Parts: sequence; C-alpha cells; structure tokens
Amino acid sequence: MLPLLLLLLPAAHGVVHLGYMPVLTTEPRLEGQKTASTFVLDQPRCVFKDYGNADIWLVVALDGAESSFNNTDRPGSPEIAFQSFPNPARAYMTLNATLANYPCPKPAGDITVLRVGSETSCAKDEMRPTCNGPLPGPGPYRVKFLALEGSVPVAETQWSEKIMLPEAKSSNTISTTGSGHSAGMIAITTILSILFAILLAALVAMLVFWSSDSCSGSSTFSKPESVTVRRYNTHHVYDQPAARL
Amino acid sequence: MAKNDDCVHILQGLLVFGNVVIGMCGIALTAECIYFVSNPHDLYTLLKATENSDIYAAAWIGIFVGLALFALSILGIIGVIKASRTLLLLYIILMLITFAFEMASCITAATHQDSLTPELFLKQMLERYQKSEPANNSDNEITKTWDELMLQNHCCGVLGPSDWQKYASVFRSTHTDADYPWPRMCCILDAQGLPISLDGCKLGVPGYYNSNGCYDAISGPVNTHAWGVAWFGFAILCWIFCVLLGTMFYWSRIEY
Repeated sequence: MLPLLLLLLPAAHGVVHLGYMPVLTTEPRLEGQKTASTFVLDQPRCVFKDYGNADIWLVVALDGAESSFNNTDRPGSPEIAFQSFPNPARAYMTLNATLANYPCPKPAGDITVLRVGSETSCAKDEMRPTCNGPLPGPGPYRVKFLALEGSVPVAETQWSEKIMLPEAKSSNTISTTGSGHSAGMIAITTILSILFAILLAALVAMLVFWSSDSCSGSSTFSKPESVTVRRYNTHHVYDQPAARL
Repeated sequence: MAKNDDCVHILQGLLVFGNVVIGMCGIALTAECIYFVSNPHDLYTLLKATENSDIYAAAWIGIFVGLALFALSILGIIGVIKASRTLLLLYIILMLITFAFEMASCITAATHQDSLTPELFLKQMLERYQKSEPANNSDNEITKTWDELMLQNHCCGVLGPSDWQKYASVFRSTHTDADYPWPRMCCILDAQGLPISLDGCKLGVPGYYNSNGCYDAISGPVNTHAWGVAWFGFAILCWIFCVLLGTMFYWSRIEY
C-alpha cells in the first residue's frame, strides 16, 4: 500500500513535459519575424489539447536562465515581473491565454502568430507585471509555454532554441565615398580628352603653317571675289574707214 | 582646274552641311537642358540635400553651349561660303572654347551620376527623415519628399524596410521599434490614408506593407537626366570634332 501511495504522489505533483518546441514563425515569411525588440512565434496549436481548464502562459527567459526559472512562480509576482526584466528578474511570464484561444486544428490560410514585445503602453507600468512589453536588448532569449491550473503548473513545452535579435548599426558605418567610376564616365573622359588634344594640335599646326607660309601654291584655290575680269576694248576693222572720212 | 573646283565645292558643301547639323543640335541641346532645369522632378530636394546637384550645373552649361553652337554654326556657314580666312579662324577658336565647355559639362554629368549611389541616399534618409528638431527647412522637405516617394511608388526605404532595422536612425530615436518597425508610409494605405491592417504591417505580412526599396524609383529619373546631358553632349562633340578638322583643312587651303 505504502509503495503504491509513494508512486502516486509524484505523478500528482509532476509537470507533464510536452515534446513541442516553440519556434519562430517561418510560414508565411514575415519581414518582422525578428526586429530589434520583438519577435514572432507560432501559436501552440494542438499542443495543449488535454488541458482545457489551464491558463497557457509564455515564459521568456535570458539564455542561461532556464534552469533557474521555477515553474511554481506565480505569474505577476515581483520576481518575474516584466518591469524587472532583465535585471534582477531573468525571466518573465506573459501572453496569458486559454485553449479556446488556440483552437485545433488551425484553419488553413489563417496567420496564427504571437508577437512577443508588441505592447508598449504597459512597458513601464508596475501594475502590469505580465505586460508583453518590448524586449530590452538583443538577447539571446529562450521561451517556453507553461500551462497552469489555478497556480499549479500542469504541463510545459521544451525550451526553444536561442533567439538572437538583430542589433542596429550606426549610420556612420555606411561609406558614401564613391564606388569607383563607371565605364561610361571613363570612356567619355578619355575620348573627349583625346579629341580635344587632337584639335589643339591641329590648330597649332595650322597656325604654324600660316606663319611660316610654307604651303602656298600647289593646290590652293582662289577666293571667288578676287577674280576680276578685265574688259578689253576691241578695235573693229570696219569702223576705221568711217573715222578717216 | 575643274577637278580642284569640284573638290572645293564638295568640301564646302560638306562643311555647310556639318554646320547646319551643329546648329540644329545646338537648338536641341538648349531645349533639352531647359526642360531639365525648368522641370525638376520631385527628387530635386533629395539631390540638393546631398550637396551634389552638379548635374543641374551641367544642364545650365548645356543651355548656353547650345545657343553658342547655333550662333557659331551660322558664322561657320558664312565663313565657308565666303572663304574668308579671318571669319573661319574666329570660328575655329570660338568653337574650340565651346568644345571645352561642353566637354566639362559632359564629364561633370557623368561623374556625378556615378556618385549617386544607394549608400548616399541611405545615409541621408537615416540621418534626416523625420528628424524631430529639423535644423532647417530642407529636413522637412526631405521628410515630405520621402513620404510622397514611398506612397506613390509603393516602396519603403532605399533598399527595403530592413534599412530601418539594420541601421540606427533619427526616426528610430523618436519612434519605438515595437510600434514602428518601419514608418507608417511603408504600410499599404487605404483611401483615408490609414493602413489597411496595422498589425499586418507591423508583422511584415506580404500584402500589407511595401517590401521593395525606393532606389530604383530614384535612380530612374536621375539616370535619364544624366544620360540626356552627358551622352547627347558627347555625340554632338564627336560631330563637332569632325567638322572642325574639315574646317581647319579648308582654312589652310584658302589662298590669302
């Protein structure tokens, strides 16, 4: 009898470890899957089927703090308030939901996601310790889902993989000094410079020819106006006898 | 000699034809540059803010060069027909000066087109879009220009909405990342100017935000402008080169 009771007691107080691992949403591809202070998880559909009476909470912890998180911590207690995250609290609980919020199966075509970090209004509000506020740094973070009946934990998922958020670089790192010159610009500059040099050389040659006067003659041609026609007076033989008489 | 006369007439005819073409091209260049200068597209504010608006200086030079080419072509035609050495010498020297100016204009337009890289616009956008205390009016103008650009071309940022995530900006310092991963103008808006789905836009669901960058919309008009000034000028200069060589040959053969 006693061994049977001893066997039953752990089962009554044990938390069921579900095999599900929370993942970032990959279907559909979201531009905002990870931003500097938020990330997007798939909803845990068809995971907590047997726990219709439980509240399903999301636990967000710093990487490395998973082991120090106690499942029996009540959500909203100061040790795990969002406002004390990440220092001194190293984890917090948020996004309270019930099985009714996560109907199974998921209707095709619906986008069922959880955006962690979307509530900015309560981020500094100490009266809202379970606020889904923006994450304070790039992480890395780990998350898991925890089902509580009353305040007794009954089921939990695995901890997720490390979630690292992107960090913004300063705009000073953008180099605007030219990326070199395009082929077109080099072609224009080279060809035009060569043409101009040829023209200047031809001008110089032309003026040298003119001043040295060395090439007058052979195939020159004359200007139209300088051609003059001299008029000849013709003496008619027939007029002379008339003049003598 | 009849053969020499024929050669003379052919050369004169060619030079007159060359000058007529130069005259017409001069008018076309003036008209094109007046169009560019008087019809600045909306991106003029962005270009002016980059302190790199020499493309407009090139267009202004183009206007005066075009008029000069027209006047010189008339001088050239008269000089060729009259076979006057002084007129033609004057023509050659003035044409060389005009050639030099137009060369400067072409090279300026081509060089500055190269300098308008995406990085230049990205840096300007990050540092001045929605600046909370605008230092001068041009910051407001830049914000307005970018808003219109993103609205009309259905685009976001220079390379995409990720510009706002990858880099810190003055926009980010006044708008939290959770509420505004990217500006509201990047969302697809309805007739009233409100996002059709704010959550969809913040999440980045395809169909509720603009995922393309605006660089293509910026570089299109700027490239057309630069090509118009640089390459058309280059073509005219090649033609002028040939006509000038012919004129110099003709000049050296005129009997004084």
